[in-house]
Amino acid sequence: MTTRADADLVSTVRDLFSQRCTHEVVTQAEQDGAAPEKLWREVAEMGLHLVGVDEEAGGSGGTILDALAILHAAGEFAAPLPIAETMLAAAVLADAGAEIPDGALAVVPPTADLTLSGDAVSGEAKHVPWARGAAVLVGIVDGKAFTAPVEVTRSGVDASGMPSDDVKINGTVVGDSSRDLLLDGALARSAQLAGAMEAIAELTREYTNERIQFGQPVGRFQAVAQHIVTLAQMATMSSLSVERAGLAALSGPAAFEIKALKQVSDRNATTAARAAHQAHGAIGMTQEYRLQQLTRRLYAWRGEFGLEKELAEDLGKTVAEHGSMHDVVVAGSEALS
Amino acid sequence: MRLEATELTDEELELQQKVRSWLRDRLPAGSYPLGLGMSGEIDPEFSRDLGAQGWLGMALPVEYGGHGRSAVERLIVVEEMLAIGAPVGFHWVGDRQSGPSIAKHGTEEQKREILPAIARGELSFAIGMSEPDSGSDLASLRTRAVREGDGWRVNGAKIWTSGAYEATHILALFRTSEEKHTGLTQFIVPRHTEGLTINKIPFIDGTRHFCEMHFDDMYLPDTARMGEVGGGWGQNTAELVLERGGVDRWMSIAPILENWVRSRAAVGDRAAEADLGAITARNWAFRGLSLSIARMVDEGKSPVTEAALVKEMATRFEQESVDTVARHFGRTPDLHSDDPYESLLARAILVSPSWSIRGGTNEILRSVAAKGLNKR
Ligand SMILES: Cc1cc2nc3c(=O)[nH]c(=O)nc-3n(C[C@H](O)[C@H](O)[C@H](O)COP(=O)(O)OP(=O)(O)OC[C@H]3O[C@@H](n4cnc5c(N)ncnc54)[C@H](O)[C@@H]3O)c2cc1C
Repeated sequence: MTTRADADLVSTVRDLFSQRCTHEVVTQAEQDGAAPEKLWREVAEMGLHLVGVDEEAGGSGGTILDALAILHAAGEFAAPLPIAETMLAAAVLADAGAEIPDGALAVVPPTADLTLSGDAVSGEAKHVPWARGAAVLVGIVDGKAFTAPVEVTRSGVDASGMPSDDVKINGTVVGDSSRDLLLDGALARSAQLAGAMEAIAELTREYTNERIQFGQPVGRFQAVAQHIVTLAQMATMSSLSVERAGLAALSGPAAFEIKALKQVSDRNATTAARAAHQAHGAIGMTQEYRLQQLTRRLYAWRGEFGLEKELAEDLGKTVAEHGSMHDVVVAGSEALS
Repeated sequence: MRLEATELTDEELELQQKVRSWLRDRLPAGSYPLGLGMSGEIDPEFSRDLGAQGWLGMALPVEYGGHGRSAVERLIVVEEMLAIGAPVGFHWVGDRQSGPSIAKHGTEEQKREILPAIARGELSFAIGMSEPDSGSDLASLRTRAVREGDGWRVNGAKIWTSGAYEATHILALFRTSEEKHTGLTQFIVPRHTEGLTINKIPFIDGTRHFCEMHFDDMYLPDTARMGEVGGGWGQNTAELVLERGGVDRWMSIAPILENWVRSRAAVGDRAAEADLGAITARNWAFRGLSLSIARMVDEGKSPVTEAALVKEMATRFEQESVDTVARHFGRTPDLHSDDPYESLLARAILVSPSWSIRGGTNEILRSVAAKGLNKR
């Protein structure tokens, strides 16, 4: 009765990432400031970066649930790849009826300061994830989809050490688009956040089962077990909510579900990161250990495509004006349309 | 641990609309005393009317007067009632857990006699587990039932029994032998059994539904026993899943939140809007968790760990939400205010610490969840 992501696809993707995205690979990507070429080629050959976009439009097919499952897995294994960005950009181009170029793509954040005049788009954008290395930048301004060559004005990195550059934009409109990059991005980031939280919960559970202090695994101490429980709570709630928002998006407008999801995920990310580090003690703070690769991603992603506080204000305003919380909690966006 | 997302079917949505419109007629705003979730007012007439709609004992078997419906359908009905703070106190425990438990473990005679009356909203159950010296550690229960002829002689005391005074029956757990876990047996005790005295313990908000019970040489025929001798512990554990994963764990203050929104007090106040938005988002997330757990129950699974995880965080969230609403209220809400929502908020402030105690404390739930997670 309920639609799900393609199970074979999910297990293939998880196998791939679990084998290829080792601690060393992620560390190396961070040092290089670039995606591992071989891995990206492999992902591109499988078409993973274009899942969720129709084949007729140049994508790999599959539903949004498939795309979210891939992003969830990418988050789980801290894949140092611009998959989310490419998926988002490709969806915009497909929607605008434009061609999707080969290679990685980057999206101009919907908060960027842009001017549209005729078919020309100009302006600047800060902190564009994975701009460097992208074939082209893709964005939307006033309902017009545009592409722009990559002109980096400052190379930077986000909290997880992945490329996040300031760019100058001299773009051209390629068609109309009704997509909402803020929502699409929030959904994508939430899937990555949930994946990372699942991995962090599991890593912490395993570690505290092995780490011996006072003659027994520290996980047996009730106070430490509480952190394990908190992590399972945050991860379970986030993953389930991603699926629910995905299902809502599949059947209609889902602005409420996606904003609620991102709001909840951002908050959960903070709680999860704290609990995981606390349970790990000093080792979790070191670069040699995997945990920080995951928690730093939580810090980076929670700050993109909608902030916890802004989303809360936005949702609250909507609910306050609608006049019923129960309606919205039960029926979601449908209650608001 | 992963839960699967699920959506309501068209039939389920139809049920939701039906319940909503029936409640609008049966309980027009202002016509009934508002309640805080499961500890709503006791109104046997409302319970009987609800039963007449087929909305009690929904998941009980049809041959025993139930309606053979699903846990999800029950969730839909329950959530609409909690949203308006309906007077659910009379039927709550019987509908949620005693009924399903009797359906599973009761004798043919017990099922025939009791279940149809639960579904009609005529019976009210209380849960007799806790004792003065056994709270979290139920394995240390001491109230004893000793074999005597065709029945049992019971001596001892129970405490913290919600609604025992008004209940028609108490589903009680007694010690029948010395073995810690396998020495416990469940009994269905009619409220007016000779030898049972019930006293009210005034609650923090002045209400008097909290009770203690004394058993002085109370005699029960063996037909009052539910399930195997010594099987009480296992039955009790299974029952707790029904008690822990539901929407009642995060909807206690739903009418207060709804009133906050309806009164438009938050409109234009950015701090209030932000808090309101965060609460709404989390309620949405919790609803998904409860719904998925209900589907698991319908699939015949026993999501013990999942239910514990949800109850532990949902009750904390309920408490935080009370604080948030109270902070925006602007003054200390008055328990005796003419505005029913103000007095409800005042009550919520007083009683909210109990939400993370009843049904298993958060400390215990964390242990249950941690053990469950470590087994995976
Ligand atoms: C509103 C309300 C309604 C109730 N209704 C009913 C009812 O209808 N029927 C019924 O039988 N009971 C009922 N109870 C009782 C409830 O089930 C118990 O209060 C609860 O199980 C805790 O037991 P206790 O109060 O004896 O606390 P204790 O068990 O004495 O616990 C005291 C503190 O120690 C902690 N603690 C205890 N053991 C451990 C451990 N192993 N690890 C870590 N921490 C621990 C507890 O978490 C708590 O913080 C109700 C309680 C409330 C508040």
